[in-house]
Formats: sequence, C-alpha cells, structure tokens
Amino acid sequence: MKYFVGFLMLLFSTLSVWSQADSAGIAFKYNGFIDSYHALRSESSNDWMSSRTRLRSELSADKGNSSMFISFNAVYNSILEDKTGLFLREAFFRYNTEKWDLKAGRQIITWGVADGIRVTDLVSPMDYTEFLAQDYDDIRIPENGIRLKYLHPKFNLEGVLIPVAEFFQLPIDAENPWSVMSSVAMPYSLDMENKPERKLSNSEYGGRLSFFLSGIDASLSALHTWNKMPVINKSLSAHGDSLSMQAHYERMDMLGADMSVPIGKFVIRAEAAAYLGELQDLDMPSNLNTTVRKNTCNGLLGLDFYPGNDWTIMVQYSHKYILDYDEVISTKKNTGLATFNISKKLLQTTLTLSSFTYYDVTNNGFYNRTSADYAITDQIHIMGGYDWFHGDKGPFAMYKNNSEYFMKFKYSF
Amino acid sequence: MNTIKKITGLMAVCLCSLAIQAQSLSGRDIALKVKNRPDGDTRSSEMTMQLVNKNGSTRDRKIQSYSMDIGKDKKTIMFFLYPGDVKGTGFLTWDYDQVGKEDDKWLYLPAMKKTRRISGSSSKTDYFMGSDFTYDDMGSRNVDEDEHKLLKEEIVDGHKCWVLESTPKTQGELYSRKVAWIRQDCLIALKVEYYDKLNKLHRKLEMSNIEKVDGFWIAKKMHMTNVQTNHQTILTISNPKYNLKIDQSVFTVAKLEKGSL
Repeated sequence: MKYFVGFLMLLFSTLSVWSQADSAGIAFKYNGFIDSYHALRSESSNDWMSSRTRLRSELSADKGNSSMFISFNAVYNSILEDKTGLFLREAFFRYNTEKWDLKAGRQIITWGVADGIRVTDLVSPMDYTEFLAQDYDDIRIPENGIRLKYLHPKFNLEGVLIPVAEFFQLPIDAENPWSVMSSVAMPYSLDMENKPERKLSNSEYGGRLSFFLSGIDASLSALHTWNKMPVINKSLSAHGDSLSMQAHYERMDMLGADMSVPIGKFVIRAEAAAYLGELQDLDMPSNLNTTVRKNTCNGLLGLDFYPGNDWTIMVQYSHKYILDYDEVISTKKNTGLATFNISKKLLQTTLTLSSFTYYDVTNNGFYNRTSADYAITDQIHIMGGYDWFHGDKGPFAMYKNNSEYFMKFKYSF
Repeated sequence: MNTIKKITGLMAVCLCSLAIQAQSLSGRDIALKVKNRPDGDTRSSEMTMQLVNKNGSTRDRKIQSYSMDIGKDKKTIMFFLYPGDVKGTGFLTWDYDQVGKEDDKWLYLPAMKKTRRISGSSSKTDYFMGSDFTYDDMGSRNVDEDEHKLLKEEIVDGHKCWVLESTPKTQGELYSRKVAWIRQDCLIALKVEYYDKLNKLHRKLEMSNIEKVDGFWIAKKMHMTNVQTNHQTILTISNPKYNLKIDQSVFTVAKLEKGSL
C-alpha cells in the first residue's frame, strides 16, 4: 500500500508543478498504458501461471537541448508477491546538441541487430522471472549509467560507463511456476548474492562505433563486462543428501561487430562477437565442482523477408563455439539456437497474427508463442495465444509442462 | 483598322502557339511538371489521418513530418504522435530518384529501444499505418517508373485539368494503372483513380482545400476511398512550413532515436 501512496504523491506533485513548469517553456508529456495479463497452464493441473495487472507511467519533460524521462510500473501480481509494488524502470536526463548526445541515469541500452538473441547486446541484462513468457521489451533490465554519443551524419561513436552492473534475474522462488529450482529433487541451499563488489575496478565500460550508410548499417563494439547470467556452481554435502549452490560472476571482455544489409525484399543481418574469458560451468563427478574461463566465438545470421501485403518473415541462427574446450565443461563445444518469426497484419492492420519460435538446435527443444492481437479501438488491444514448450534436454526441457494459454488486455494513453 | 488587324493577328499567333505548346506536352512532361512542382527545399507539417471503416467507426493517426530535397533525392523523417501504442515510433527514409536504386529505410521502435533497418523496396505496396495510403503514395515515385499518357483535357470544378493515365512499367505494383485529373494552374491532382490488376476501380483519391502557403501550392485535405472495401482515410495537413532552416543532420538515425528534432 505504501508503494501506491508514494506513487500517488509522486504523480500529484508532478502534476502540481506541471503548469508552473509549462509556463517556463518546459513541454511535459505524460503517457503510458494499463495492461492485464493472465496465463493458464494447459496441462491437467490447469493452474494459473501468471495473473498480473500494471500501470506503466511515462513522464517526459523537454526544453531546448535538455530533456528528462521517467517510466515506472505499478504492478499487482497475484502469483508472485514480491513482484507487486511500484518499480522504477527508467529515469534519465539527456543533453543533446548537433554533435553530442549525453544520457545519464537508469536506462535500457540496446546494441546489435539480433532479435531476442544476445550476441553483442550484452549491456542491459534480462529478467527471466517468467522466463520468456512476457514481452521481450519487458524482459530487459535497465542499467544505471552514463552514455555519451558523438554524432556525425555518417556515424555515431558511443561510450558507455556503468558504475555498478546489473545481472540477470532468475526465477529461484520455489513458488514461482517458472522456478529453475523445480528440477532439484533434494534439499538445497542457494546463494545468488555472490555479486562483484561495488568498486571502481568492477565497473563496466565499453564503446560502439556505428555507421548508417546508404545500403548498409555496420557497427563495431567492445565491452569490459561480466558474465551477467550467473554460472551456478553446485556441490553435494559430505553425506550426499543436500545440494549447495552458489552463483558465480566473473569478468569478461566482448569484441563484436554487426551489420544490416537490405537487398530487395530482404534484409540480411549478422553479428559476430568474441567473448574473452567467459565463465563456464564444469560438470565434475565429485563435489569439487568448479568453474573455468574460456574464450568463445559467437555468431548470428538473420534474414528478414518483407514479401509485401503486410507479411513479415524472419529467420535467425546463432552459434557458440568454445575455444580450448575441456570435456568437463557442462555446455557442449558447439551450441546452436535458431528463431523463426512470421507475422501478418489483417483488417486494415487492426489484427496481427504472429508466431515466434526459439529452436534449440543442440538439444532439439523449442518454445513457440503463437498469438493474435486485435485493436478494438486506438487505445484498447486484446491479445490471446499459446506458449508451447517442448524438449527433453536443454533450457526448454524444464518448462515442458509449462505450456500455457494466455490473454492480455491493454489500454494505451 | 490596321492596328486592330495587327492585334487580332498577334492574338491568333499567341493562341496557336499556346495550343501547340499544350498539344506538344507529353504525358511524361506533365508527370515531370507535377513532380517538379515547387515546394521548397525543406518542409514540415503535422498530418492527421482519420481511418473510417465501412461501419463508420473511426481511428486516428497523428504524425509530425519533416523532409528535405537533396538534388533529386529526398530525405524524410516522421515521428508518430498518436495513438499511444505507436507514440514515439519513428520512420526515416532516404528516397532515391534513380530508377532501380533502393531507398534506405529505418524504423525506430521505442518499446524495444531499437532501430531496425527495413527493406527499401517491399513496403512500398503496403498500406501506411492501416490507412488507405500505401508507403508509395506517401513517398515520391520516379516519373520513369510509369508509362504516362495524356488522355484529354477536362474542366473539373471550374479548373482546367489534364487527364493523365500512368501505367507501371514493372510488375508488383498495387495498381495496374492510375488516372489523375491534374489542375493546370497549380499542378495538383484534384482526383486520382487507382485500378487493380483486373482493371476494376480499387481506390479513389480526392484532394481539396488547395491553397498557397508561403508561396507554394498545397492540398491540405486528401480523401482516399477504397471502393472495394468501403474503407476510407481522410488525411489532413496542418501547420505546413516551407524552407525551414534544417540541415541533413536531421535525417539521421540519431535524430530518429531521439524522437524529435
């Protein structure tokens, strides 16, 4: 309740200064949406997997070269109690001239040209609280940092500094239907707080040089970062009757490049990145389980096809190769992930039918979301669909009983 | 008497030369005149599109648009202002006049915080934001992408018009031919009829509120009707401005991602 009182106070105080600020020449804008999302497991228990309603508020102020932006979610989640409350999403100010663009504060930073797959896009981590069964833009976690861009008509040079890095959020609460702990059959302890100390030497920084030219976009990027998806180190107790798990985070560097080339009705997208010192889990038979750092090569090739008549077809394949491979590494030397996306707009673009699939090439598993989105009015959208999980091994296997029907109602203002 | 004869003779010569000039104008010449109609080197406007379906229910779209001519090419940046679910979306095009050279297009999706490169050629035949205007209608088309034929001259609403038929030279266009009634005084079409592949009338465009702003002619209202589905789009242009002091740095991905100039 205190969150909502705080939210109302914030809203009213904002509105109270609105008119004064407006007279000072500051242009305020307030918009956002309310959405209500509910998902029901299609397997026999038919329990509700998600049931949440939120208000997304976005407030911006703009005067001359300077602007600010705040967005926050007020959420009521009936399944995950700790996800009920008021959450700051982004809050940053911006100073923009013809040559420079400075953005400081909590912000989402997106790099690369891939959709739903991270190759060079390593700055903002992911919130896997409900795995992938939420909108991809909701999954991104903002970073608290500074981004400075030098703007040239043909290229942008970007520098990023994140003093205290954010990390992946994983579903570890046993009550969460998406919990990664659901497959652990014995008593366990889990320590996820083994995060890097908050000191200067642990800061994250990097840069990106992007070209936007006639017929081609291309970027080069470098990032001194962390393995933001924790590697969870497991060890059995002396009696072998309980499991101790600890999340590990280590430094790594990324050197990457990406490009997009339109050719007729196609757009070819490609990304490549070397991860230097990426942390790997070791699958040791004893309780001496440890981790090791290895260099990896990561690549992605995508093809977008725009045949016209409001059809869009997109295919991607990404591959990871671990250099100097040890047989005890729990991940395979070569792993592949593909995505397929097909969508069609109908009824004067009021109805969108789409189907998006992640296909785990290595383990022959998949996750497919097939949905229909209908705009009743300019403000109201209703959406329904099915999330289908399949697999005996790999990341989708633990969710093979989580296939679900979902519906969503959204009012934008 | 001699003077009257001379004047009469001179008038006859003038009329004859005008008639010869009109007759000598080819369909391509007229299409070129329309395309080259003076509209400043840069321009901006706010566009409101009202989409009306066959039951009469309406939806609205609002867009702020800026464009600039660079030689025969054109760069355009558009920011979507309404409705809320597309607010902040931006669309940048570098439109090339050269036949066969693909346009460059980028779409900024604010929810994804991401700019996507999109195909320069395919979306031309798609409808723009659910309206009855295609991307091709919204952009500029090279005169030589169509075969033009002057059918006749006609008076429409008191205005002398050329009736021009344009037939695409290549397959893959939405229309098999279009017929435009072009006002000779201001080089703006009063109406355009688009015919489908079966040569049946598909869409009908009517332009009105034609006036001069900053010395340039503009049609402030465009009413497109899909006669086969009875869906309509009324596009209204407000606050048009010409020869703005903006440079090429406006038409970049950096500005697209900023969401405003």
